[in-house]
Amino acid sequence: MALQQFSIGNCQWSIVNWLSAIVCLAFCVSITQAVERLPVIQKAPDFDLMDQSGKRVRLADFKGKVTLVSFIFTTCNGSCPATTSRMAKIQEHLEKKSLLEKGVRLISISLDPARDTPAVLRGYMRLYEADGATWSFLTGPPEKLSKTIAAWGMWAKPAANGQLDHPSRVFLVDRKGQIREIYNLDFLRVPWVTEDIEFLLREKH
Amino acid sequence: MSSRIRFVLATLLGIAALSVVHAETCLSPFVKRLDRPEKFLYVYCVDADAKDNDFVAVVDVAKGSKTYGKITYQLDLGSKGNETHHFGFTDDRTHIWGMSLFSNRVFIIDVATDPAKPKLVKTIENIGEKAGFASPHSPYALPGRMLLSFLSAADGNLPTGLAIFRNDGAFIEKLTMPDDAPYGYDVAIRPDLNRMVTSSFTYFNNYKKPLAKFDFKKFGNDVLIWDYRMKKVRAKLKVGAAPLECRWSLKKQNNYGFTNCALADSIWVWEGDKNDKYTARKLCDTGKLPADLRQSPDDRFLFVSCFVSDEIQQWDVSDLKNPKLVSTLKPGVQPNMMHVTGDGKRMYITNSLLSTMDRSNDFWIKLAHITPEGLKLDETFHVDLTKFRTGPARGHDMLLN
Repeated sequence: MALQQFSIGNCQWSIVNWLSAIVCLAFCVSITQAVERLPVIQKAPDFDLMDQSGKRVRLADFKGKVTLVSFIFTTCNGSCPATTSRMAKIQEHLEKKSLLEKGVRLISISLDPARDTPAVLRGYMRLYEADGATWSFLTGPPEKLSKTIAAWGMWAKPAANGQLDHPSRVFLVDRKGQIREIYNLDFLRVPWVTEDIEFLLREKH
Repeated sequence: MSSRIRFVLATLLGIAALSVVHAETCLSPFVKRLDRPEKFLYVYCVDADAKDNDFVAVVDVAKGSKTYGKITYQLDLGSKGNETHHFGFTDDRTHIWGMSLFSNRVFIIDVATDPAKPKLVKTIENIGEKAGFASPHSPYALPGRMLLSFLSAADGNLPTGLAIFRNDGAFIEKLTMPDDAPYGYDVAIRPDLNRMVTSSFTYFNNYKKPLAKFDFKKFGNDVLIWDYRMKKVRAKLKVGAAPLECRWSLKKQNNYGFTNCALADSIWVWEGDKNDKYTARKLCDTGKLPADLRQSPDDRFLFVSCFVSDEIQQWDVSDLKNPKLVSTLKPGVQPNMMHVTGDGKRMYITNSLLSTMDRSNDFWIKLAHITPEGLKLDETFHVDLTKFRTGPARGHDMLLN
């Protein structure tokens, strides 16, 4: 079949060319209007700390895995117990859905290095029945930990009631080590976090 | 009782205890709440003749303080003609992001290091550049980020949209308003419902003109209900002209909220049913040009400032089928922004809307007490905003610390 030719001024285009142009235009419009699901917020800052068993742990050790990172301290009576309790439920749910074995890990970094030794963290984990195989509780020397806390945009300072004042944020990190979502307790819901993790697991890396 | 159950109970008690003190209204739900009475009132001020720099006035509002009711500090924002308008805390309440309707600047202010003397740490020129928007209006904290609503596209027209930034100011993403509802104004999120609502005013090339030259056909009359996590519009609701503030009900069991329609002299309510279908209807008629809308911490009352009829109305909205006007206060000429304290007992008031809309040069900050008998003006509290070394200043938005 001969292709119909259209001419505008000195330009001659075939139907194929016109269709290609329309498809390209539609694609460009859809790109500009599309909303990216879980856009990259920033590269997750590295850390060099130790876990509940005293083993050295760096963020690079989790490369290729999707990680959920919280900041807590074990004597907290504010948002930390609720955060850790919710993370425990998430771990349980991910286990049931066999997602942990696909490369998902949980990390909780202490905001209180003076009190949160590896032994104290192990006791805290028992209270929440946290499985240390897929959930690391990290601490370290005050100077190293302070640098980590600041690098993640977090802070902790003594409050009038003897507690530590700190923001409530939980970070979702993709397999390339990029922060893709930041939750607070309102959004740290088991089905929503699971859905986000499944989305990141489907991405190529 | 297992250790796990014990800790879950402790958790629930902790949350209940926190919710008692978390009573400030009309802030993003992600902003850390004050757990004590306010000490400082920050007022975002426009130099009235735009010949000198805009600034933040710090008013001592600590009861018993020797300088109570006085301006104790002025933070120079380093530039003029910004039309400084709304400002809001980051989620951790350490910084304030100040918007500007004429210059597109955003001022990031440290209020944690010394709350008595806030410090300007960063000025972002042309905040909407990467998103293709202009006229930043509402700053709304998300965990670790700021969501901004804009009034205009980059050329001062439409469509406008929303954009999300890191707390250090880096751009993350944008959401453009749909073609059939291209206006923007306020934004509010109910995290538990996963719903976000946006409202619609007019755009820069219209509101930059003197009021008499405004094109009143070029104002939005839509409220959009969004799926927040998926960032998609789920419902487009027609309301009265120029819906401004968006206020979700504060009670978790309620799937509804309110907006003041400035050009329709009314408050409207949007409601979601059990099938998650949303509708909107007029709730009540108000005084002339309802410019700001605030909530009491117990979710019972709405306060609406009526800029043209010089009054603040207090509405009992505990029964949505039968809203009742319970109190009216005449604080002075053109009352506009209000800020209700966390205990629900006091309200600070300013009286400038926009330099192109103000009709009086008598600018002030006043205080009303919210009593069982209604709103009562505190005659002993009056901050005069006309006697600065640089002349009068238009006070607009307020925050407490």
